[in-house]
Amino acid sequence: MLQALNDKVPRYRDQIPSPGLTVFPKPVTALDFSFSVSNPESYRGYINDLKKFLKSYGLEEQRNLTDCPDRAFFEQKRLDYTSCRFPLVLLEARSGVDDPGFGYSTGSPCILVKMNRKIGLKPQGEPRIECISKGENTAVLSTYPSNGTIDLKYFPYYGKKLHGSYLHPFVAVQLIFGNRNNVNEVRVERKIDGSPNLKIRDDRDKFLG
Amino acid sequence: GLSSTRAAELLARDGPNTLTPPKETPEIIKFLKQMVGGFSILLWIGAILCWIAYGIQYSNDKSSSLDSVYLGSVLALVVILTGVFAYYQEAKSTNIMASFHQMIPQQALVIRDSEKKTVPADQLVVGDIVEIKGGDRIPADIRLLSAQGCKVDNSSLTGESEPQPRSCEFTHENPLETKNISFFSTTCLEGVAVSIGVLFFIIAVSMKYYVLDSIIFLIGIIVANVPEGLLATVTVALSLTAKRMAKKNCLVKGLEAVETLGSTSIICSDKTGTLTQNRMTVAHLWFDNQVFVADTSEDHSNQVFDQSSATWTSLSKIITLCNRAEFRPGQESVPIMKKAVVGDASETALLKFSEVILGNVMEIRKRNRKVAEIPFNSTNKFQLSIHETDDPSDRRFLVVMKGAPERVLEKCSTIMVNGQEQPLDRSTAKAFHTAYMELGGLGERVLGFCHLYLPADEFPATYSFDVDTMNFPTSNFCFVGLLSMIDPPRSTVPDAVTKCRSAGIKIIMVTGDHPITAKAIAKSVGIISANSETVEDIAKRLNVAVEQVNRRDAKAAVVTGTELKDMSPAQLDELLANHSEIVFARTSPQQKLIIVEGCQRQDAIVAVTGDGVNDSPALKKADIGIAMGITGSDAAKSAADMVLLDDNFASIVTGVEEGRLIFDNLKKTIAYTLTKNIAELCPFLIYIIAGLPLPIGTITILFIDLGTDIIPSIALAYEKAESDIMNRKPRHKKKDRLVNKPLAVYSYLHIGLMQALGAFVVYFTVYAQEGFRPSTLLNLRVEWEKGYVNDLEDSYGQEWTSYQRRYLEWTGYTAFFVGIMIQQIADLIIRKTRRNSIFQQGLFRNKVIWVGIASQVIIALILSYGLGSIVALNFTMLRPQYWFVAVPHAVLIWVYDEVRKLAIRLYPGSK
Repeated sequence: MLQALNDKVPRYRDQIPSPGLTVFPKPVTALDFSFSVSNPESYRGYINDLKKFLKSYGLEEQRNLTDCPDRAFFEQKRLDYTSCRFPLVLLEARSGVDDPGFGYSTGSPCILVKMNRKIGLKPQGEPRIECISKGENTAVLSTYPSNGTIDLKYFPYYGKKLHGSYLHPFVAVQLIFGNRNNVNEVRVERKIDGSPNLKIRDDRDKFLG
Repeated sequence: GLSSTRAAELLARDGPNTLTPPKETPEIIKFLKQMVGGFSILLWIGAILCWIAYGIQYSNDKSSSLDSVYLGSVLALVVILTGVFAYYQEAKSTNIMASFHQMIPQQALVIRDSEKKTVPADQLVVGDIVEIKGGDRIPADIRLLSAQGCKVDNSSLTGESEPQPRSCEFTHENPLETKNISFFSTTCLEGVAVSIGVLFFIIAVSMKYYVLDSIIFLIGIIVANVPEGLLATVTVALSLTAKRMAKKNCLVKGLEAVETLGSTSIICSDKTGTLTQNRMTVAHLWFDNQVFVADTSEDHSNQVFDQSSATWTSLSKIITLCNRAEFRPGQESVPIMKKAVVGDASETALLKFSEVILGNVMEIRKRNRKVAEIPFNSTNKFQLSIHETDDPSDRRFLVVMKGAPERVLEKCSTIMVNGQEQPLDRSTAKAFHTAYMELGGLGERVLGFCHLYLPADEFPATYSFDVDTMNFPTSNFCFVGLLSMIDPPRSTVPDAVTKCRSAGIKIIMVTGDHPITAKAIAKSVGIISANSETVEDIAKRLNVAVEQVNRRDAKAAVVTGTELKDMSPAQLDELLANHSEIVFARTSPQQKLIIVEGCQRQDAIVAVTGDGVNDSPALKKADIGIAMGITGSDAAKSAADMVLLDDNFASIVTGVEEGRLIFDNLKKTIAYTLTKNIAELCPFLIYIIAGLPLPIGTITILFIDLGTDIIPSIALAYEKAESDIMNRKPRHKKKDRLVNKPLAVYSYLHIGLMQALGAFVVYFTVYAQEGFRPSTLLNLRVEWEKGYVNDLEDSYGQEWTSYQRRYLEWTGYTAFFVGIMIQQIADLIIRKTRRNSIFQQGLFRNKVIWVGIASQVIIALILSYGLGSIVALNFTMLRPQYWFVAVPHAVLIWVYDEVRKLAIRLYPGSK
């Protein structure tokens, strides 16, 4: 039975109607990040998590990848599939290169939002990840690359077997709190916008686009 | 007595003569009892655990899902529904009992308006004079006005009518009894369920899973193992059988009796009325030096003996005229044999016999006017009447006489042969004696008939006969013939006896009759088979004394009550053990109890029939007491477990057959139900051990147990008997349980595992085709269940959010569910038989099975496609092709089972 399966693409992809979004660092409890600026231990885990995630995006690691043309699907038909570079420069200060604390030490933490891989996905329009802060304590959100745009050149994905070196496109979000109180709580909602075939609202799945 | 109007007034004043029913258990208590018995407790625990689990979840994380709450509620709902159902069933059987009471309403013979009237007992009022005879239940609190020889009866009545009304006793016994089955059949299961559950709970905790997870796991194990639907199914199956038996004239009082009946190994049966028709019937005639056989079948239609002889003409005239019995008026349309007659048993027999052969007896009697009569009495031992003849030219009177043959012969000087009177010489007397002994030896009651024409000159038409002074000759009669009567066996009995014999059931006849009659009837119905001999027979054949015969050589035994009285229990045991065909004659009803106890010492399941009040102790003592519906007294009926509405022995055998059938079918149902338990349990074990995402949810399991599987398991109760059902030895009540080891092993380890495997194939297919290969699934459980992991990678590098995974998990549940369901169809088909091939039994004979299969598929379709969008149910719409993945496995199960059955048929006896 297993032999009958295509080892490049699963037979059905209907269970992932739309790619989910994953937030880094991964919170320990559900979706709550909490840390204290004055206590580096409280956010060390987050920073490590981010560093781990960004490791594969290092210049060294990306050397073998291709510089793909922007704003177009990077479709491949050849035998050796290659992947597009995702230069960390896009994230500007949030890349962790300049600020190893990712803003946590200064109280304006940075999170990364990545779009889950889905084989063969070709977003229409201009997909971007939009983040809105909600609740009473609003914070200023700045997204990098600007506008949260995800370039089409990272699509489509051809699956682990063919496309092993694939790098996720992602968006960095920095929260800058207006007031300097000791306790800040903010809810952030992010969604994929600008792409008609990805905009699916599903109350049951908070992580859907 | 009272006048009717006065009685009506009193009735209006005092109300009906009924006892306020004894304080019954309040309905609500009964209801609550159903809620907490047996498995219900387990399920309650499961439900409470669910809610606790939710509490823990909620305190950890406010946004935790409500799944546990749903599950807890569903479990509670299941318990409540099962409870309601069981309660309803019980109420229904109580109602059946009530209707049974109405079927045989208690009547009282009361004197009103100076007439004897039969009124329902509750219509009695103060001041009524009631007549009671032995066997009646005393209809009211009464004062004895006169007691003639009913002293004994009366005392035994007070002994019987202890404050234990049947309804009360029934309502107490029934739930216990009904439960008993499921209890005993399920006790071991329950034990298994708990121990497995607890065991794995400990393992799970020690494997450092979260306690919460372990609790959920424990719930899963409990739900997977408890056959939620079984209680309902068993109750329904038993009720169905009880209904079916009622149609066949066996009214079963407790559901357990159905099942006990099937294991009967000895039936102690009354003779009169049960084995026989309970009416005297002319069996043989002797005239013209010849024995003629009369038809003794139920309708007498086929009288083939030679009726041309002139002797017969005379004999028939005597039979017709020397008879005081008369048909009750107003029965013109009733067949002769069924007409009610005023007169004793022998006269009734003769009246009906002559009516069938000669036509209108009353008309004949009218033409031969009776002028004088001496009725039968025990001193005379004859009956005589004097008639005018119907021949107008013959002015002579005819004196006809019947009576005990030897007394009749004494009064005769001639004998009629071929219509001619001949002197009664020694050789004819010898012929008479031979015939008399022959007929008597058949256990028949023999009557002699003679007549005399009085000379017209001595006895003119105006002659006044005086029966007190006997102013007419009473000797020198002309002997005409003999006629013998017997209470013939019911025509269906010999077949039933043969059936019992092949079914390994021993039949013991217990009767108050004469040993010769008893033996003759036993022989004619086959209780004593044609070629078996009693000790006395052997002695006679070998011409030796009875004491010299080895008792073990004799297969049959006829034991009289007096002999029985002198026996020690050990001797009785030896008698019961060594003789396969036993007839107890001249026994008193009390001795029936001794016989029953003797049989029970042999480890037998004893069924006993009885009708009289005195039979009640024996009926109570027996494993199955069977009371007669027509002739039975109320006391007997209330002591019995079963009532035979037609008093027919053959109905008992039908009952035994039904009992065996339902036992077989319950076994099938249970095997069917147990099989899927493994397929439901394995997912939880694999889930813990191999770390797969949970293959099937608890709610899904409930949908199998209480949804798709219910109708099919009931359908098995409709399964027809296998051909060998009445060729097997009776099952040993203690050894052959409803659930025995082979059944459990075969259900759990063979079919159960195959089924689990098949269901896993469907599960893996779904996951693999969605992107998770089995190798990836291994040990994925922990990551899979982390709510915050929203980029779980599958085998192809795709990333899944936790909700997407959850949805896939539900699809997996649905797939597993469908896998089990498809294979349960095969399971259902193979369970139709135990030994025979399905093709021998016939695939289409039991239509209900197909209803069951259809219901399975339809329910599954509705669950998947109709309710797939309801989150709490955890069902999703499954791709059509997944429904067929398990089909090869289903076929495999079928083939495997056919091979097993073939092996059983080819090598019977081997394990």
